[in-house]
Amino acid sequence: MIESQRHSYHLVDPSPWPISGSLGALATTVGGVMYMHSFQGGATLLSLGLIFILYTMFVWWRDVLRESTLEGHHTKVVQLGLRYGFILFIVSEVMFFFAFFWAFFHSSLAPTVEIGGIWPPKGIGVLDPWEIPFLNTLILLSSGAAVTWAHHAILAGKEKRAVYALVATVLLALVFTGFQGMEYYQAPFTISDSIYGSTFFLATGFHGFHVIIGTLFLIICGIRQYLGHLTKEHHVGFEAAAWYWHFVDVVWLFLFVSIYWWGGI
Amino acid sequence: MAMAMMRSGLQAALRRGGRNASPKRSFASSAHHDDAYETAKWEKITYAGIATCTILAFNNLSKGHPHHEETPPYSYLHIRNKEFPWGPDGLFEKKHADH
Repeated sequence: MIESQRHSYHLVDPSPWPISGSLGALATTVGGVMYMHSFQGGATLLSLGLIFILYTMFVWWRDVLRESTLEGHHTKVVQLGLRYGFILFIVSEVMFFFAFFWAFFHSSLAPTVEIGGIWPPKGIGVLDPWEIPFLNTLILLSSGAAVTWAHHAILAGKEKRAVYALVATVLLALVFTGFQGMEYYQAPFTISDSIYGSTFFLATGFHGFHVIIGTLFLIICGIRQYLGHLTKEHHVGFEAAAWYWHFVDVVWLFLFVSIYWWGGI
Repeated sequence: MAMAMMRSGLQAALRRGGRNASPKRSFASSAHHDDAYETAKWEKITYAGIATCTILAFNNLSKGHPHHEETPPYSYLHIRNKEFPWGPDGLFEKKHADH
């Protein structure tokens, strides 16, 4: 496009999406506060804001995919930058979950007299870690194996195999989410039942939300693999999804060991 | 020294994009065979995982869930400070009335 370009960096074109995303976030925040304080039109503004954000995400990422495939802007150097960026994003996610584990251990290691001085608090019936939670651990580990299968299939140039592997990964992810939903529905405590319920649903709920994001990411990768976007040499999007999926998997292992297992005894 | 090694290791990992680069893989011909082998291996591991999960899932679901006895209304349970925008109860908290 630019004849005089003598470097391999991607100088992006002006784009409306940063400002549209910002306006969507503003509407979501203001609408959310209005909704929670029962102002008229709060729910409408909140919904509009969320729709705006979702639309921005769709078209922005659509543009990135066009820049990568059609326009060929993602040189080796740009790919390196994208990987660095995604690693930093995952590091920030680690810190995000660190805060919830901190809240959990703060409350459980020295339980206050207000909850009976014991953990789990008096009157809280906990979930058996060796039933659904352990099954979910195996499901996530299996889907981690499936995403590795997909990775090797892409590297080996086995395009169909890679699609099958991604379908397996996504199906396992959906089964995990289904079991979590079932477990939430049947749980004898809720988020409003003491600090136990608060820390439990805050940590596992945000993990579940991340599982859903990771599942969408993997679905996009599956579609792109089917469309032939991903090649042996260039599949940064898939790598990012796989890293993200492993991150979500590791967070679950920590949740299982500390909140479900240790925190349930 | 250790930091420098870690840094160069990270950079190498980033450059090859998470791909294993053991010395034997630097030959293009053998690299292809290796990935095919790894693909088949991880496919088998995935099937083994799915089989284990299926057995465990049937085992779990056939058991039925235990019923917890009612607890005294301790002040730290079922906390309500104000109404939700949609009403008095949380969206997934009907169980307090049902059970």
